[in-house]
Amino acid sequence: MTEDKKQASRLLRGIHRTLTGLHPALESVLAAIVGLLFGALIMWVWGYDPIVAYKTMLLGAFTDKWGLADSGAIAAPLVLTALTFSICLRAGMFNIGAEGQVIMGGLAAISVGFFVLPSGLHHVVALVFAMVAGGIWAIGPAILKLTRGVNEVISTIMFNWIAHFLSIFLIGAVLLNPFSADQTIAIPPSAIFSKLIRGTDLTYAIFIVIGFALIVYFVLWHTAVGYEVRASGLNPSAARYGGIKNKRTMFLAFVLGGISAGLAAAVILMGSSATHAMYRLHGQLRNIGFDGMAVAMVGRNHPIGILFSAMFFGGLNAGGRLMQLSSSPVPVQMVRLVMGIIVFTMSVPELARVFPAVKRHSVGLVKEMKRLTSSKGRR
Amino acid sequence: MKRLLVLGLVLVIGLSFAVSAKKVAIILDVGGRGDQSFNDMAFSGAERAKAEFGWEVVDIASNSENDYVPNVRNAARDGSFDLIVATGFLLTGALNEVAPDFPDQAFAIVDVAAGPPPWNTQGANIMNLVFNENEMSALVGALGAMTAAQYGYTHFGAVLGIPGSVLYHFEAGLRFGIAWANTKWGELFGTDPGINLLYNYIFSFDDEELGESTTTAQLAAGAVGVYNVAGPVGFGDHRAIVNAHTQAGTLVGPPYYFGVDADNDYFSHTLASGMKRVDVAVYEAIKAVEEGTFGAQVAANAAAGLAGGYVGTLENSGVKLSKAADLLEFIEFGIAAGAEIDYYQTIANWATERAALSDAIWDAIAELEAGILDGSIQVVTANTDDDMAAVRAEYTLGAP
Repeated sequence: MTEDKKQASRLLRGIHRTLTGLHPALESVLAAIVGLLFGALIMWVWGYDPIVAYKTMLLGAFTDKWGLADSGAIAAPLVLTALTFSICLRAGMFNIGAEGQVIMGGLAAISVGFFVLPSGLHHVVALVFAMVAGGIWAIGPAILKLTRGVNEVISTIMFNWIAHFLSIFLIGAVLLNPFSADQTIAIPPSAIFSKLIRGTDLTYAIFIVIGFALIVYFVLWHTAVGYEVRASGLNPSAARYGGIKNKRTMFLAFVLGGISAGLAAAVILMGSSATHAMYRLHGQLRNIGFDGMAVAMVGRNHPIGILFSAMFFGGLNAGGRLMQLSSSPVPVQMVRLVMGIIVFTMSVPELARVFPAVKRHSVGLVKEMKRLTSSKGRR
Repeated sequence: MKRLLVLGLVLVIGLSFAVSAKKVAIILDVGGRGDQSFNDMAFSGAERAKAEFGWEVVDIASNSENDYVPNVRNAARDGSFDLIVATGFLLTGALNEVAPDFPDQAFAIVDVAAGPPPWNTQGANIMNLVFNENEMSALVGALGAMTAAQYGYTHFGAVLGIPGSVLYHFEAGLRFGIAWANTKWGELFGTDPGINLLYNYIFSFDDEELGESTTTAQLAAGAVGVYNVAGPVGFGDHRAIVNAHTQAGTLVGPPYYFGVDADNDYFSHTLASGMKRVDVAVYEAIKAVEEGTFGAQVAANAAAGLAGGYVGTLENSGVKLSKAADLLEFIEFGIAAGAEIDYYQTIANWATERAALSDAIWDAIAELEAGILDGSIQVVTANTDDDMAAVRAEYTLGAP
């Protein structure tokens, strides 16, 4: 019995070490490779040429200035929604509300179309509007969590739906474009970021994104507030014992996350969008919040890591569009599949970390294996 | 040696053929393929060019609205496409942004008239493919109203997608047709049946559930049938019609489904379709490039002030009310698009449904069609919100 237990724990420790002992960055790279390989398998099964398709995708996304710029344009909002998720995760909470906060930020940014301001000021006002709207939308779940103990996973998902339907109402009733009923009024030219590289989607907004990521990094790792946020995320009881006001840090993390998500909407609508307007079902903003979670996971919830992983996901999407033009025209949905597999793979080592219960079952597993081998030997 | 020469010759011919194969890109909006309507029609036009001219066809889908501009631009930058077709007015903004940067690239856009941006497109390299949807919608409206009169219903229904000039053509035509039918019925049988229009804009071209619930509501309010004016949403409309028959236990007769763009008469309980030959329009654009007349045609049309390089009318069969020959053609289209169809049963059902309507109705429809063709009947149309308001005021059809 004790022998089995010892062997089981050795086996488990081996698996555990293999899965968790990797350098975090290496783990992400591994997950990306697994995702791409699985995508290749699917392509091969359905009769496409994975080598041609991936060559088109990766060369198209990362080797010329057009591809790099388009990848960066897709990456920019993803960086911000990834920060939303990881700031809250660093504070020990699972915030799925970026999707709704993005929508609210978008509506606020659009509303600057109602008034006229000089160019630079108009940008600032639009950005502030979007950030404030995103931040306010995050306060709801934060208050529910801090005063009534409502699980933030539930409340943020619910707030996403409220934002979704509120946006349908506001777009249809208030912000509607009188000339084209499928979209809102457009953000005026005086509040639009000009293109960094003409003929691509990349705008000057990218500097705001990088700057925001660096600020978040500085706040979290080089200020007392950031230390408190991270400490209460690592161990809430110890942090409270150490004199940190948990509720305050949680609130801060939520609001900062909301601000980041609101900014993401502004970056899309004031930057890459063709019409600088929101469509009826906010198609341009859809999934930006959820994709941000994938980016945060691969970026190991670190602002600098997120910059790189967002660029990777941006490249996947920008290159994925090009795959359709290759001699092996893979459907554009393949990219979503690869992203899903990557998220799935990323969660495997996490599972090994959080389920020590596996240990109990492994004792039985080793015992059973032993019984089988020994009975075979006897025969 | 001889064999080597032959081999070389074959290689040269093969290579030159490969090089000379022209390419067309069909850029779709988020609706995408498989709607057995608008998008599939555009694709089938390109397929016809593939068969006739040996063109290569590449279809490009969009994950979200963010993909519109990059998809058009990537295709243009690729440089290997002889024509890029933007399918639908949702791509207007993308074309306006990209086309000026690629003056030597030929573009075509379906459903957007020539005119100044942002709501129209303009350029020496853009061919606009538009339709007089009001003409065939008038026929659909007249048929629907007379069917309602024969079966004792009070309304004809329409489920429309995102409002805009294209859908206003449909609505204006419908209103005209219903009003015409009411008058005609009065002349024929002495009493004006006073058939009215139920119409709902659902602001979507892909929400089938919304189409289904809207159709159910219209049927409950007394519609004899529902005209789908939202492409893929029609699957939902059609489900609602089938459900109504299941609940009533009926196999034939009203309520009816009225298809759009393609001839959807191979659907069950479908009396007619307002056909809009997107495929012909796309084919004509490809043909213009193939014959080298693209630029000249666009320039000539601009000089003449036409709405498009191709204008589908009742006269050139670009729009029409579906007929038996269309059904035979489009059963194949439906099968190719993946619909499960019992060939002979479908034709028999369709013929039975049509024969159940009195000859007077079919004569009246033929009279309206002939009148539109010879110009003695002018179908009203609308492009802007103001036009539409005026048409609604003229043909109120039950609205207060």
